[in-house]
Amino acid sequence: MAAKVPVERRKPLLRQLADSKILLLMCVPAIVFFIVFNYAPLPGAWIAFTNFNYRDGIFGSPFVGFKNFEFLIKSGQLWLLTRNTILYNLAFIIFGNILQIAIAVMLNEIRSTFFKKISQAAMFLPFFISAVLVGVIAFNLLNYDTGAINALIKQTGGDPIKIYSVAGIWPLIIIMVHLWQSTGYGSIVYFAAIMGIDRSLYEAAAIDGASAWQRIRYVTLPSLKPTFIILVLFSLGSIMHGNFGLFWNLVGNNAALFKTTDIIETSVYRMVLTQNNFTTSTAVGLYQSLFGFALVMTANWIVRRINKDYALF
Amino acid sequence: MNRRNIIKLGATILALGISANALMGSVQAQDAPTEITMLTMGNKPTNGRLEAMLEKLNARLLEQANAKLDLFYIEWADWQTQYNVQLLSGDDNVDLIATATDWLFAWENAEKGAFLPLSEEMLKANAPKTWAQVDAKGHWDLTKLNGEIFFAPEDNYTQYTNHGFFYRGDWATEAGFENGEITKFEDFTKYFEWVKATKPDAYPWDIAGANEAALTGYLQGHTDLQTLQQVTAGNYFPFQTSEADPYTVTSWYMQGDELLAAAELAKKWNDIGVWREDALNYDGDTREEFYAALTGVEQHHTQTYLTQIVDNMNTKQPGSDPRFFWFGKENGNFFKDIFTHGAMAVSANSKNPEKALQVYDLIRNDKENYMLFNFGIEGTDYIVTADGKLGFPEGYDSSTDGLGTNYWWGRMDEFELPKTSDAPNKAEIIAALDAQAKDYPYSTLIVSKAAIDPTLAAISGVLSEYIPQLQYGKFDDPAAAIAEMRQKLADVGFEEARASVQADIDAWATARGLK
Repeated sequence: MAAKVPVERRKPLLRQLADSKILLLMCVPAIVFFIVFNYAPLPGAWIAFTNFNYRDGIFGSPFVGFKNFEFLIKSGQLWLLTRNTILYNLAFIIFGNILQIAIAVMLNEIRSTFFKKISQAAMFLPFFISAVLVGVIAFNLLNYDTGAINALIKQTGGDPIKIYSVAGIWPLIIIMVHLWQSTGYGSIVYFAAIMGIDRSLYEAAAIDGASAWQRIRYVTLPSLKPTFIILVLFSLGSIMHGNFGLFWNLVGNNAALFKTTDIIETSVYRMVLTQNNFTTSTAVGLYQSLFGFALVMTANWIVRRINKDYALF
Repeated sequence: MNRRNIIKLGATILALGISANALMGSVQAQDAPTEITMLTMGNKPTNGRLEAMLEKLNARLLEQANAKLDLFYIEWADWQTQYNVQLLSGDDNVDLIATATDWLFAWENAEKGAFLPLSEEMLKANAPKTWAQVDAKGHWDLTKLNGEIFFAPEDNYTQYTNHGFFYRGDWATEAGFENGEITKFEDFTKYFEWVKATKPDAYPWDIAGANEAALTGYLQGHTDLQTLQQVTAGNYFPFQTSEADPYTVTSWYMQGDELLAAAELAKKWNDIGVWREDALNYDGDTREEFYAALTGVEQHHTQTYLTQIVDNMNTKQPGSDPRFFWFGKENGNFFKDIFTHGAMAVSANSKNPEKALQVYDLIRNDKENYMLFNFGIEGTDYIVTADGKLGFPEGYDSSTDGLGTNYWWGRMDEFELPKTSDAPNKAEIIAALDAQAKDYPYSTLIVSKAAIDPTLAAISGVLSEYIPQLQYGKFDDPAAAIAEMRQKLADVGFEEARASVQADIDAWATARGLK
């Protein structure tokens, strides 16, 4: 670095923008995307407070206050849906991150490049299988009359299990399928972070006589902390948003399983699909977003109290 | 010529040129045919037959009304949502909208402003034949909301769409039914047991996904309760009246012991193994399974039986003697089709509503247009046999060669020909139905749902949790489950909603001097 460091003076905004023209240009698609799909529709949330009709439009329809929210409470669904959505997401976040880090670390320790590539590809592939196919595969594995698992049980002389009638098993099944699909993809981020760790740290550790396990414990894992925290924060932001495709295709309309598998998305979808009810579904969506927003703000606030550098904003 | 004059001359020429252009333009605009788009239901056909037919039809429409017709399809995947979202979007490219009060949310959408109110003058001027025909039957009242007409009913076409079981006469005979005739709902237990015992490849009744026929089929035949078709909570119709007391709203989900009896029968059927254990998650094509002798029963309505089941079974399962048991056969508790089971509305956003009505009138009432639009081009899409029946040319395969206009929004009895694929016993079945069927008494009743919409959503939530499990006999103790369901329904305000519907019925009955 040069000996004479010029005093940083804050440039005027326009100048700053002009200086980073190219960077801004590269951001434009993302900015446009968020404006079009996330900010522009915001006023439409007004539907949740109206008795909506097409003729009067979103802002002309009669205002009904919180009437549309009443159903959520009345039907007793609010608590169940919130609980299911949050618990599933917590399980996805906790087990997902642990597994992703473990796999990234293990990949990093594999010396044979060929084997490393192969195993990475094999774990990555399920990510590309559509949820519809996952649902079909699951049905063919799990169903009572012709499913592979029950066929195996019958062949070995056991009694087949009515998997699609037992609500208790489904959290396990859904979490396993989710992890199977997403772990390979998620581990790549951690793997990239490991690649970015200063190699001299490992050399220094080796000179100090650290074993492979100690190098992981004292160099790799601490270096992954910022990535881990940012990823967890991001996922906390969407803790109220369920993986609709997965849940819908695995469970569908099977009411026997709703107690443990119904999340906000699937419930809203059924409601719009069968009820033609845009107002209450918007109300649920709004509840979901506000609750999610509060969660992100809280989580970020906590992280900022602990370590300012790890906070998102 | 001085400079000023040159400028004047130039300006004049320019002005003339512009006005001539404008003049030409307006002449062209007058001459350009109006494009009318009709929203219809179904998967857009890709075999080219639709386009070929439209070319011919449009040549006629061009001449008759200076208009061209195009179709916009709401495909079957997720059709309820697609239909409502399309209407919600306010797309001004759609002019005519296919609708129905019992299965396509016509009242809801009229109430929400998706349809243009049609004045008498407008109908008389642009759809005179339709006006006269519907008026002669006094049916415009059936399409009015707050005194305004919102669609044209398909009120001149005879069909039955009451539901029931298709089953095999040959199997029923072997199972011990005289003449292979099953006359009571609960007698199907015997038929199912026989299928289970003797046909290892077949399910007695294979069903895919949510269905409540095991319950409603029983309830219809064992009560005099009649369902109010105007109010839905999700896929369920929560309110009934009774024939004995037609102006008091009740519900078979909430009152009486019949629901329990139906649920117990369903549980018995589940224990026999009548359907797959995982029927709720199964999504196979059970109609094709019936054709392949893989299910003993298939459930749908009369029209399907008469136009598809008999013909297909006679070809694919010769000797199977397909039969139809309609729900309510025991006690005559079922309705004739309402006249708004199919209807045509004009979009509130249409730029050419008058022209749209003219085109509809021409399709509905001009025989040549009607034949083209319904059946296609004679010789390639259909033939008329020597005995005057509508058949298909050689090599025609109905599963790939269909025209696919799906015009169910204004068919006319006088233009319809008997089809070679119609069931031979069609007249007999229709006569039997005519002898029993009741007229739906509430065709003109409008239920204001705005106030109870959130409650109906909550009711739908409760019913969609319990009914599928009751239907498939999945509760160990149906009595306890029903009690629990009734408690939950009460908690979400079932009585409030019932009272609101009751108020509408009271007002309606009083206004008509019925009560």
